[in-house]
Amino acid sequence: MIMQLLKKKKELSFERTYAAPADAVWRAWTDPDQLRQWWGPEKTTVPECEVDLRVGGALSIVMEATEEMGKYAGTRWPMTGTFTHVEPNVRLAYDARSWTEGEEDSTTIVHVNDITMRERDGSTEVRLHVSITQIGPKAKMAAFGMKWGYKAQLDKLEKLLAG
Amino acid sequence: MSAVLWTWWDIFLDGNMSRTYGHRMEAAVFAALGEPNRLRIVELLREGPSPVGAIADALALRQPQVSKHLKVLSEARIVRREAVSRQRIYQLEPHAFDAIASWVDSFEQQWDSRLDSLGTFLASTPRGDGDGPDRDRR
Repeated sequence: MIMQLLKKKKELSFERTYAAPADAVWRAWTDPDQLRQWWGPEKTTVPECEVDLRVGGALSIVMEATEEMGKYAGTRWPMTGTFTHVEPNVRLAYDARSWTEGEEDSTTIVHVNDITMRERDGSTEVRLHVSITQIGPKAKMAAFGMKWGYKAQLDKLEKLLAG
Repeated sequence: MSAVLWTWWDIFLDGNMSRTYGHRMEAAVFAALGEPNRLRIVELLREGPSPVGAIADALALRQPQVSKHLKVLSEARIVRREAVSRQRIYQLEPHAFDAIASWVDSFEQQWDSRLDSLGTFLASTPRGDGDGPDRDRR
């Protein structure tokens, strides 16, 4: 129910053009050794990255906060997914779940990701569409900037929001 | 109290909510929204301001009960009350849900940075394709 209170939509769209051919973009997105180099934001590393590139194959990426993140250091954010569309240099799609390690039940977000690539004159236009389809109760409350010192209330709220 | 684990959007929002409202206010918002009828009231007020009676009718609740809920919601700064020709009209506080909207912002921001990083990565790979001035553009 809280998701309906979002002013912004749960669909996100991005568009970029890269000065690289489509096969380079495809490799960056599907070769685990390349993927881990750009996937994590500043102050994070990607200690685990596995790609089974086929429809039905698994995608698994873990981001981990480094010491530079201070109090957040060591926090891990796994993402596991399944590829639903694998069309080299053209389109990649996967369903995925992301969560904070240790708090899977309550922080999980489920999302659908669709990436298309179109090459023109050596540059590639990339379009990414992300649909957020499910959000765990703690993630909902985290949207209010909640800090989790209130376990008893959290459990109760979790039940209320589960509906 | 066990160690606090941070979601990505906690990091993004860190300081915002606390700075604006303080921890006691967080607890108030938490408690306010943790009651199903109060959530229903908030959802109703999304449609626009409403007097107490109309809220009670729409949600099939008794008026005193609605008034109590509205008091909790207004203490949590989720709704505000205005007196309009002797009627008490309640409406959502305009910034009450900025934090929720921010959650989606944080996800969006994460992807924005990630796509920037992809550009940097592609420009740096030794293929000859990414050489030269960075021609990424949104």
